[in-house]
Amino acid sequence: METLLRQFLDKFLILPDEEFAMLSERAQIRHFPRRTRIVRIGDTEEYLNLVLKGIVRKFFYKGSHEVVTQLASEGAFISSSISFLSGEPSQYVVETLEPVTLLSISKESIDELYNTMPSMERLSRIITTELYLQKEEIEQDHICLDVKQRFMKFVQQYGELLQRVPQKYIASYLNIKPETFSRLKHHLRSPSVVTT
Amino acid sequence: MIQVAQPKKSIEAWSLLHGFVQRFVALTEAEFRAWQPFFEIRKFDKREVVIDEGEQEEFLNIVVNGLVRKYVRQENGEVTMQIAPEGHMVHAETSFHKRQPSKVIVETIEPTEFISISYKNLQELFNKFPKAEKMARLFVAEMFIIKDRRFFEMVKKTTREIFLDYITSHPHMLQRVPQKYLASYLNIKPETFSRLKHLLRKRKEN
Repeated sequence: METLLRQFLDKFLILPDEEFAMLSERAQIRHFPRRTRIVRIGDTEEYLNLVLKGIVRKFFYKGSHEVVTQLASEGAFISSSISFLSGEPSQYVVETLEPVTLLSISKESIDELYNTMPSMERLSRIITTELYLQKEEIEQDHICLDVKQRFMKFVQQYGELLQRVPQKYIASYLNIKPETFSRLKHHLRSPSVVTT
Repeated sequence: MIQVAQPKKSIEAWSLLHGFVQRFVALTEAEFRAWQPFFEIRKFDKREVVIDEGEQEEFLNIVVNGLVRKYVRQENGEVTMQIAPEGHMVHAETSFHKRQPSKVIVETIEPTEFISISYKNLQELFNKFPKAEKMARLFVAEMFIIKDRRFFEMVKKTTREIFLDYITSHPHMLQRVPQKYLASYLNIKPETFSRLKHLLRKRKEN
């Protein structure tokens, strides 16, 4: 667990050993069965989570319709991040799709670490910026890429999720009609795509 | 005359920056003076491209005077992603932070004065002043929250609600921003936008 956390954090900031220790001793492992709603609409998000095992999705309701905004597997961050940052009630549901193990750190612990761990502000600034830029990228992709390009980008980045996540959730995440999604997936399997 | 007017404008820029920073962290006068040399004032004409597609963004800008938009060029036209008036931050974020060519274009609508910090200076500011880290963290968090709020509004509201709420909360924008940019920003068809604007005028008359 510690190695995984270390690898994950090194992508953002190399911490001195003693500071890493301060952080990791406050991190906790949380297990959830599949199809558990970790955060419901109206809850306040108390944790920042790193997925150690399993898949988690985040979605909101448009009327009675679910719109998926994130699919997170091993090594990804997942939280109702806006609620975490603002302290306001969550407008999103965070739900496990498989049995899930999370490495979580509470808001309370992070606030403590701002006072005691010198690099905490920097680490937090870098991670918050990363989350913001991810959102910016998703927004741009939805404007700039057509359906097929969005599909292909997803396959290249998260190909393995095609087998693990129900198709309708990926289609919702990419804002692609389920029928179109099936067609694109079918094309992917046919050899003609290999040449493109 | 110009020499008299010039410093006055600059003072305005610096006090805007100070106020901007104070929203996130408390900074003494002395601390603020130590931060100042890291920033610079930049001026652009109206309709001037500040950063083009494919260029590397070197600056983070706060608008002191003027109006700026950020957009992407598409085969079938432009899509406006941001319209930034006084006090707002605008730049090609991804290019700036990830050190890669910009996919967006930042262009002025009106003559614009920015208070800007370069990437290099920002990193140095972070290294010298821990408070800068905190300010940046809180600021990015706020941007993130605002972005999400806008996303929800666009998804959940009707076109009419999007239009009316925006015009009510940004009453001067209708005069300052070319209609096609506003329509694009609000994701409303130009024809629909005109119709809604007409409706607004009727409502006022009654």
